[in-house]
Amino acid sequence: MERSLGELKPGERACVARINGGGALRRRMMDMGIVPGVELEVVRCAPMGGPLQIRLKGYYLAMRRGECAKIVVSGEQRVAIKHTLASR
Amino acid sequence: MKIALVGNPNVGKSTVFNALTGSNQQVGNWAGKTVERKTGIIRRDNLDIELVDLPGTYSLTAYTQEEIVTRQYILREKPDVVMAMVDASNIERNLYLVLQILELAPRVVIGLNMMDLAKSSGIILNATELAKALNVSVVEIVAAKGIGIDKFLSEAVRVGLLQKDPLVHQVPYPSELEEKIRAMENLLKDTSWASLYPLRWLALKRLERDPEIGQEWQSVSAPESSKDKKRDSCCDSGDALNYKLKKIIELPGNDLLRSYEEEGWTRDHFEMAFADAKYNYISQILPRFLTQEDLRKPSLTDSLDRWILSPIWGYPIMILVLALVFWASFIASAPLGEAVSQGMALAADFLVNLLQWSHAPTFLMSLVRDGIFAGVGAVLAFVPQIAIFFAFFSFLQDSGYLARAAFLGDRLMQLMGLHGKSFFSLVSSFGCNVPGIMATRTLEDPKDRLITMLLNPLIPCVPRLGVMSAVVAAFFPGTRGAMIMLSLLLISMLLVMISALFMRRVVDQRERSAFVMELPLYHLPTLRNVLWPTWHKTYTFLKRAWTFILAASVVVWLLSSFPQGVPMDSTWAGKMGEWLEFIGKPLGFDWKIMVAIVFGFTAKETTLSTLGILYGVAADASQSIAQAMTGAMSPLKAYTFLVVYMLYIPCLASVVTTYKESGSLRWTAFGIAYNLILSFIIGWIIFHGGQALGFQ
Ligand SMILES: Nc1nc2c(ncn2[C@@H]2O[C@H](COP(=O)(O)OP(=O)(O)OP(=O)(O)O)[C@@H](O)[C@H]2O)c(=O)[nH]1
Ligand SMILES: [Mg+2]
Repeated sequence: MERSLGELKPGERACVARINGGGALRRRMMDMGIVPGVELEVVRCAPMGGPLQIRLKGYYLAMRRGECAKIVVSGEQRVAIKHTLASR
Repeated sequence: MKIALVGNPNVGKSTVFNALTGSNQQVGNWAGKTVERKTGIIRRDNLDIELVDLPGTYSLTAYTQEEIVTRQYILREKPDVVMAMVDASNIERNLYLVLQILELAPRVVIGLNMMDLAKSSGIILNATELAKALNVSVVEIVAAKGIGIDKFLSEAVRVGLLQKDPLVHQVPYPSELEEKIRAMENLLKDTSWASLYPLRWLALKRLERDPEIGQEWQSVSAPESSKDKKRDSCCDSGDALNYKLKKIIELPGNDLLRSYEEEGWTRDHFEMAFADAKYNYISQILPRFLTQEDLRKPSLTDSLDRWILSPIWGYPIMILVLALVFWASFIASAPLGEAVSQGMALAADFLVNLLQWSHAPTFLMSLVRDGIFAGVGAVLAFVPQIAIFFAFFSFLQDSGYLARAAFLGDRLMQLMGLHGKSFFSLVSSFGCNVPGIMATRTLEDPKDRLITMLLNPLIPCVPRLGVMSAVVAAFFPGTRGAMIMLSLLLISMLLVMISALFMRRVVDQRERSAFVMELPLYHLPTLRNVLWPTWHKTYTFLKRAWTFILAASVVVWLLSSFPQGVPMDSTWAGKMGEWLEFIGKPLGFDWKIMVAIVFGFTAKETTLSTLGILYGVAADASQSIAQAMTGAMSPLKAYTFLVVYMLYIPCLASVVTTYKESGSLRWTAFGIAYNLILSFIIGWIIFHGGQALGFQ
């Protein structure tokens, strides 16, 4: 089941399937560790359409909904992945 | 020997730099504080070391202004050793940059910083194993406590003195990719660039079609940078970095790239594949040196964020924090300011008596009393405000709260069509507009950058707020004063919002920009990180008071006392005011205010010192400037003055910075004109609106 990252609810986890669109934004995301296969968790959303707080690779990221919409995630959870830091 | 500090943003590079060189680079807990390179010289074992602090970067394929500085430095200046700083609590992503550095420069020492944070969040790192995995020396440090920093440097020096480049372990790419890299290497190995850079790195970059590969640059020194420091040391921004294109070399490989493209290996595809391989490699070696304790307890950051970023409590908390900062610095500090004023009055008395006793000429006494003490004394009265404000501000930014405020404030920024990172720039502007304007470098889109730059002057900086609060305290005593200050801040905020939308039109910005920002872990600010910037800012302010403001006070005193023996409005200052009066008339300003406003262009505090002199505040009298002004102005006029003063023009230093950062005389002029016209219009509305509503 494929969804965009923005559709996840707080507390949900999913793996990155691909990033839509190219150029600078995609490269920026790659630099931040958002590459296919990585597990992301939506921690919370700022109210009124504000940015999302996301956890990956043991750190926190703030991202606007517009960017989150470009990240396609697949719903199946890879339980085996253990987070470093903060994922507890 | 040239040693460069490189690493992700917010890993503690500037902390290490400050510790080693004794300088005072900005430190704080959010990504993107250092925006220019800064060089410091240290001597170690008879060796001159040029240590360079660079802006943090997530990769060496940089594209924001500040990241380009780092990339250019590594590529073009070629440091002998790279001190690669890594955040131990976030090592997985941090190593991605380290792998890129290792491909480009073999002489690297890894500094494993924030070991304390890693430990407290249950991460156990084995530095020896990490060193073995990459074949690079690794030093554990806790930069904030000064632990391991010396060892880090000596290790770097040792690596720099090695006879031969050490052999580091390279990232293994999948065989299909490896073949393509090798084919490209074969084509490039005889070019002149192959002698400058590692062949493998060159091939990788060529496959990624890096635009800079194949160009040769020559560094040209920036002659203005030394002058800048003299102009305004409160806004020391580091050394500028300039290069001139020497020549472009045609590198072979275009045919090969075309044929790969036909197979589906586009530039994007290559980039993704290289990134993927690096992350894969990291997760392969990670278990060798990292063990994660399974703590059930949520971390400090988790528990704090539950409240601070909460959709319900987040905003009330933010407003409370902001209110506290402004209340403490501009209202609660009043008794301290008064004490300083009284101290100055006593000092003036003493000096004048001394002069009298020694039969000094009267004009000298007047200069001391009505010029120097009335002018400089007025400005010194808000030293406490500046100190308190910066203490709070440093605490907020070093704790990690500022990044949270950016997260919460982002919705508002979106509404204005601004980038989330514009928030940092605008908040820094409360301290001083110059670093605020410099901070726009972290914005990726040049149009966003320009818009934010032009908005900055609408944010009142602390000196401006100091002048304003002095005037407010006189005209609106008691709790009314706090309300007036609040209303002024709201006006400024409202105008920032409206202007943002207006500027978007002017600059023709249609894109909605992206916002991807790291939220750092909280930590307790160190005493040094709070007190040192506070002292530094206060000191530069003091220095400005007894150099620049002193000179300006003397000039104003001269203008207002010659020709001697005539009434004030026939002096030179009075004449000057006469020409300006027609501008001030619609706003109800007299000539004295106009002169003070014009002098305020040099530095915002000058307005207060000028007012002090022009309103003839004798420092030995118990009356303060503001009290003298209350006799001459109605509260409505005072309020109009406050609004106009808050908005009318950025000071000289910020205009120069805007010009340097935008590189455009036209936009700088536009910014000035915008501020002047806006302040005039708003002032007019308030003055006449107020009169119509029956205010005095
Ligand atoms: N807990 C802890 N905090 C540290 C340590 N070293 C640095 N810090 C803090 O980390 C934050 C970032 O430090 P900086 O030196 O400003 O980081 P930087 O790498 O120069 O950041 P940029 O200039 O933005 O790239 C500051 O709040 C420091 O006080 C450490 O060893 N432990
Ligand atoms: Mg720094």
